[in-house]
Amino acid sequence: MSTQISSRQLILDSVRAATERLPKQTAGWTELPRRYMRRGSLDAEARLRLMTERLREYDAEVVECAPGDLPAAVAARLAASGRHSFVAPEGLPGEWMAAGFDWKIDHALPTPEIETVEGVLTAATCGVAESGTIVLHHSAAEGRRVLTLLPDFHLCVLRASQVVETLPEYFDRCHTAPPLVTWISGPSATADIEMTRIKGVHGPRFLAVILVRDEV
Amino acid sequence: MRTSLFITCYNDTLYPETGRAVVRLLERLGVTVEFNAGQTCCGQMHANTGFRGEAFSQAKRLVRLYQDAETVVIPSSSCVAMIRDQYPLLFDELGNDAVRRDFATLLPRIYELSEFLIDKLGVDDVGAYFPHRVTYHASCHGLRGLHLGDRPFRLLAKVRGLDEVMLPNLDRCCGFGGTFSIKNAEVSSAMLAVKLQDIAATGAEYCTALDNSCLMHLGGAMHRQYAGMKTIHMAQILASTETTPAEVFA
Amino acid sequence: MSVAAGHRAVLDPELASPFPIAAEVELRNPQLRKNVAHAIDVIQAKRGRLVAEKTDWQQLRSAASAIRAHALENLGEYLAEFETRCTAAGGVVHWARDAAEARKIIVDLLRQENASEVIKIKTMTSAEIQLNPALEAAGVSVFETDLAEIILQLGDDEPSHIVVPALHVNRSQVREIFARRMGLPELSDDPRALTAAARNYLRRKFLDIPTAISGANFLIAETGGVAIVESEGNGRMCLTLPRTMITLAGIEKVLPRYQDLEVMLQVLARSATGERMNPYTSLWTGVTPGDGPQRFHVVLLDNGRSAILGKKTERQTLKCIRCGACQNACPVYRQTGGHAYGSVYGGPIGAILTPQLMRLEHAQTLPFASSLCGACYEVCPVKINIPEVLIELRAQVVDQERKQAGRVFDPMYLGMRAAGFVFMSAGRFRLAQWLGRAGLRLFTRKDGWIHALPSLGARWTGTRDLRGLPKQTFHEWWAQRGKEGS
Repeated sequence: MSTQISSRQLILDSVRAATERLPKQTAGWTELPRRYMRRGSLDAEARLRLMTERLREYDAEVVECAPGDLPAAVAARLAASGRHSFVAPEGLPGEWMAAGFDWKIDHALPTPEIETVEGVLTAATCGVAESGTIVLHHSAAEGRRVLTLLPDFHLCVLRASQVVETLPEYFDRCHTAPPLVTWISGPSATADIEMTRIKGVHGPRFLAVILVRDEV
Repeated sequence: MRTSLFITCYNDTLYPETGRAVVRLLERLGVTVEFNAGQTCCGQMHANTGFRGEAFSQAKRLVRLYQDAETVVIPSSSCVAMIRDQYPLLFDELGNDAVRRDFATLLPRIYELSEFLIDKLGVDDVGAYFPHRVTYHASCHGLRGLHLGDRPFRLLAKVRGLDEVMLPNLDRCCGFGGTFSIKNAEVSSAMLAVKLQDIAATGAEYCTALDNSCLMHLGGAMHRQYAGMKTIHMAQILASTETTPAEVFA
Repeated sequence: MSVAAGHRAVLDPELASPFPIAAEVELRNPQLRKNVAHAIDVIQAKRGRLVAEKTDWQQLRSAASAIRAHALENLGEYLAEFETRCTAAGGVVHWARDAAEARKIIVDLLRQENASEVIKIKTMTSAEIQLNPALEAAGVSVFETDLAEIILQLGDDEPSHIVVPALHVNRSQVREIFARRMGLPELSDDPRALTAAARNYLRRKFLDIPTAISGANFLIAETGGVAIVESEGNGRMCLTLPRTMITLAGIEKVLPRYQDLEVMLQVLARSATGERMNPYTSLWTGVTPGDGPQRFHVVLLDNGRSAILGKKTERQTLKCIRCGACQNACPVYRQTGGHAYGSVYGGPIGAILTPQLMRLEHAQTLPFASSLCGACYEVCPVKINIPEVLIELRAQVVDQERKQAGRVFDPMYLGMRAAGFVFMSAGRFRLAQWLGRAGLRLFTRKDGWIHALPSLGARWTGTRDLRGLPKQTFHEWWAQRGKEGS
């Protein structure tokens, strides 16, 4: 234990000596230059079109619906997937869990059970249109991380009001930094063999998004 | 307008025809060319090979030599990059306030050849005639160090009779890199082979550049391989006219 | 040396061959050169398109550079803040002064866990400290989970690129490795089939092995968070399913605040793989009850970094975010691949980082493994002036070497010292030119060209001719012209 304390001290002492040896050349954090694009320039319609386009580039399926039609849209999408067993995060709105499917609700489900389901349905925190990224904070309606990792099909409900154009706009919306975040930009992929892009190595190979037009 | 020509150590020794071309060209454009016989080298070879003390001495000497020059023109972008990018570091590290002051007053008066023509003289048509197919190689120091941009292309575009062909991967290093060509001769030669393929693909008779260092390396291999192409410094193209065609040796 | 050549590359800088010798071996491997060029061209093309599309690319680079420089200037404070927050969130932070201490900490943690197996997310830092052999020696079976790392592990090979480590291996070579080591004699060489084989090979391991080891792309001081950027999803598997996670990270990985990711993520993906965003980025903070590993350890590694931090020109080396863009832009790397550098870090960043981590006691040929073309600096998302650091390190190596007795008569040192002496006087310079002209006449053929030179000169004339020295230097022509009054 005492060796550990002294390693820490030695490293921090070494670091301090190193940083004190040279004059500071950068400003304080709040004065660092940020002349990159922080805000997008697209209007809401164009932003949603871009989000949809980028998602489709990843072979994600995207459908839109009006807020009132959400449960029906969910049911239709689940049916279209040809799958029957789904897992739902603990805090998923009840009306989304369409009838006619096997639902497991994640009350601390053991992993082997999650392994057996064919798909997962979640909400989302944000969509970044520029890169077609879906951001999950793993809230009650988004679910534990394992739920969006093991099943092969992920149906994600994303509200139009959650979609921003640029990545900095997502960070602007985070007033406190969340403890768990997953940024999803397409299904998993590898290009390790001759740079040939192969999709769906680990993680869901199929992503479908319902874009809820909750803004007029 | 007067200018003092810094011919560079290797042009002086190996490519005097480039210097002759610069003189002929500038005099044709009405510039009085001076030549300070005390000049030797800018120190780049030593600086890039790790002999910093020797480089510093040569740098100081060059600054002293050109203190009173109205402008200095240099037909070698790597030497200009040495002066602009490395002299400040050398003088910061090893120099004193006096040499730093002298350097600061000299620096704005230093020009690479294409910069001198385009920026200082404000011309891109220098009245040249060179009826050959030519491809331009962008040497790394000129491209990334000096940001010469489209200056060489603007100059070549105005050369009568010249058929310019774009070089594929023109921004890829030829593999000379100074003493790199000796210390890492094998890799240098591999990079050279790739570059020659690109040059050959253009069908050009001549490969030109603003640095004889690259051209010495490229031309040396062309000659070894009976490649049917030659290299020529752009100064020689620009100096070439119907009545006094370029001196070409390859 | 790749699998195809039947040799295992030596990626230990203390044992590796000097770069020119290692490079020559790689240059003689057409398959390697083809694989490397192909991989590079693919990434470069994608990167080029996205950079052209990103109108604020240069501003992003400036911000990324400033954020990294600022983090390094205040590294002590940010490290302490990270430790406080991570600990408050349930993580345990360990500090390792060097590779040996880091290995010991990790082995001890695994013993505490009674772990006989671990799953690993690709981390160059673990290769830097040679972790895997130490784990195996301690009786722990290590299972790499990145497809490229599996290829290398099963093929007894070494990484040759920071982001695409197996880019020197083609599909038939992968097929051979998987067929042999996974017992799949019927396996085809279709990348899809190969990837599926890897997926199956790993599935049970993810679910059954309770201990994982990762690296970190970024450590967030403000929150104690750790971010991992990946494409395949094996990272998410390793950081979600096991009971215990051990994260190894160099101390330079710290970013001040969560918001700084808005810059770093944009430049990293475009630089590394030519994508607007990589498929999966994960961030976790300490331990979250009910979600993911319930035991979380971070091992902060110095291993020479604080020494680099204290040096004016060299400090910028630590800004590196391991994107690999410099490797993709480098015309030297393109010809040799990564193994020639004799280190897990190859290419331009390797040429400056490895010698420094070795305190210039090894890998002294790496700073010279560059033509100083500057392409790396042009693409570096955090604006590391790699050529400037290379030149600085060259000066330090020469300062070190010129004192050695053996170097006094080394032709390169003799030549450079003589040249330095000559260049300091116009008279000596002209004399040297005259002597050179006279001497080289011996080697100059009738066509005016030199085809063969002795000693150091032979390294030029091995592949190139040299034009013979003209009978008049420019100096002499000018002087003559002056006399003729023209």
